[in-house]
Amino acid sequence: MASNTVDPNQLQNLTRQQLKELEQKKLTPVQRFFELIIMILPLVCGIIAILEYTLIPDKGRNANPGVYLTCLIIAVLAYNVYGWYAAFKRMKGDKTPYEKLRYKAPLFAALYLLLAVYDYLTLKTGILTQPFVPCLNFVLNAAIKDYKMIAECTVHTLYLLFLGYFSGVSLGLVTGILCGYSKKCRYWVDPIIKFLGPIPTSTWIPIMMVVARTLFGGAVFVIALGSWFAVTVASMNGIANVDKDFFEAARTLGATNRQLVFNVAIPHAMPSILSGMTQAMSSSCVAIMIAEMLGVKSGLGWYMNWSKSWASYDKMFAALFVICIIFTVVTKSLDAVKRYVLRWQIGAEK
Amino acid sequence: MDKKKVTLKLENVSKSFAKIETDEVTHALTSVTTSMESGEFISMVGPSGCGKSTMLRLVAGLIKPTTGQLTVNGKEIGDPGPERGMMFQKATLFPWLTVYDNIAFSLKMQGKLKGNEDKVEKMIEIIGLQNFRTDYPGQLSGGMAQRVALVRSLINEPEILLLDEPLGALDAFTRMNMQDEILKIWQEKQQLALMVTHDVDEAIYMGTRVLVMDAHPGRVIADIKIELPFPRDRSSREFVEYRNDILNKLHFAGKKGE
Repeated sequence: MASNTVDPNQLQNLTRQQLKELEQKKLTPVQRFFELIIMILPLVCGIIAILEYTLIPDKGRNANPGVYLTCLIIAVLAYNVYGWYAAFKRMKGDKTPYEKLRYKAPLFAALYLLLAVYDYLTLKTGILTQPFVPCLNFVLNAAIKDYKMIAECTVHTLYLLFLGYFSGVSLGLVTGILCGYSKKCRYWVDPIIKFLGPIPTSTWIPIMMVVARTLFGGAVFVIALGSWFAVTVASMNGIANVDKDFFEAARTLGATNRQLVFNVAIPHAMPSILSGMTQAMSSSCVAIMIAEMLGVKSGLGWYMNWSKSWASYDKMFAALFVICIIFTVVTKSLDAVKRYVLRWQIGAEK
Repeated sequence: MDKKKVTLKLENVSKSFAKIETDEVTHALTSVTTSMESGEFISMVGPSGCGKSTMLRLVAGLIKPTTGQLTVNGKEIGDPGPERGMMFQKATLFPWLTVYDNIAFSLKMQGKLKGNEDKVEKMIEIIGLQNFRTDYPGQLSGGMAQRVALVRSLINEPEILLLDEPLGALDAFTRMNMQDEILKIWQEKQQLALMVTHDVDEAIYMGTRVLVMDAHPGRVIADIKIELPFPRDRSSREFVEYRNDILNKLHFAGKKGE
């Protein structure tokens, strides 16, 4: 471990980490003990979950009990392995993995505990009535048994989502940038936005089911419309709000009109454009689920509805988890793109 | 650099603006006739509303005169261009570009960046920000940002350098440092420099000529040649005399002697 005494003459070569350590208060032994407890807490809770599942007798029949148990053990082991890795890194002087884990540890503990409580309420006691609120072992088994169909539906959902989203976003960028820059264009597009804007995207779905030649095409259109709207408004505002000073500065530096658009207006509007894209994604996610539940004959939304009608509630929940995972991944990747593109904003606000 | 002599002529230049709310018209600048050439450092000083910034923006080509003519070497001033570099009170660095890319912006816009990377490096060296090359403007202090803005407008070696209260937003010490830095660059390149300022001391310290301006309507009320050698001593008798003279012309009586 780095010592806390630094030669004042060496302050010049101080790294960020060393500085942080230097300014940090020393922990008292009691605090150190608590830190350790918090780090171990998830392990304890994980073991409680495992014991709860294996020791308490099931109320009803439980097929393939090993699946959930395996997942639990893997989860607990994963925490353990990462914990050792963090501890090892910390010994080597890199504290970041440890701090990350320390920050998340209470959440992990709560998660493992929640799993135990949920299992107790469903499988062990039936307080939550069984086929309707299936225990996690049922859900996992359903997902494994029906994985082919779920995978197919996932692909369908993603295809529909991205097709609609990206066509809407690209069109929205074109109209938004044109309208932000040219008053004439805004004159014509503004009324359309004012008229269509207040209508929630999902309102179009029943209309599309009647009008569109294929339901898939209709769904793409509805998703695209919502994204188009969000991105158009955001980029239009972003560009219309570019500080006049930036244009003047760029002009005195010899930028042509075209360059003003691509090298000043668009980069300046990027934060606004990206937040429009995030908004478009969340509206697309809503629209796609409604579309699939109402009309489109494939995808995870359809699958959920379909399993419900067969009273396969375990499959329904499995699809729900998959939906949760893919939307999380999509949103996170969009966030990552945003952070990369807007890296110049980091530390900009002092 | 070959020394291109330029002569900037203003003939009867006026500029009026229509007010937004009312039907009134503001006369920002009324019939200014003057001429300036390379090697001069013109300070324009006066209260707000005297049209000094308007004059600068006219020379830059950002706005067109209502009447009269502005010419450089006999050619009328058209759209803004890199041959008339401008520095604003706000640094107006593009926050999405690094220091390097900001300085290179002008070359890039003209498609001249390839093969001229050393020019950008040299500019970074002049302002001593080598360690900040890849930083974004949001991470710079006000003085650093203003330095970057200065060399950003200098990279094209403009014939005319327009400074619109460039140091107005800086603290007193940074300000004095940058006054000397700007003077050094100007003395080396011998461009025509036009600077707008609120600060009479700054106007005298830096200018070879001071245009004293007054408001309502905006006009030039005096054109004073400062005949002191550089570097100037702010506390010398002549300096104080110039200051009193200018302050008197602006109706702020200065104390005699001091």
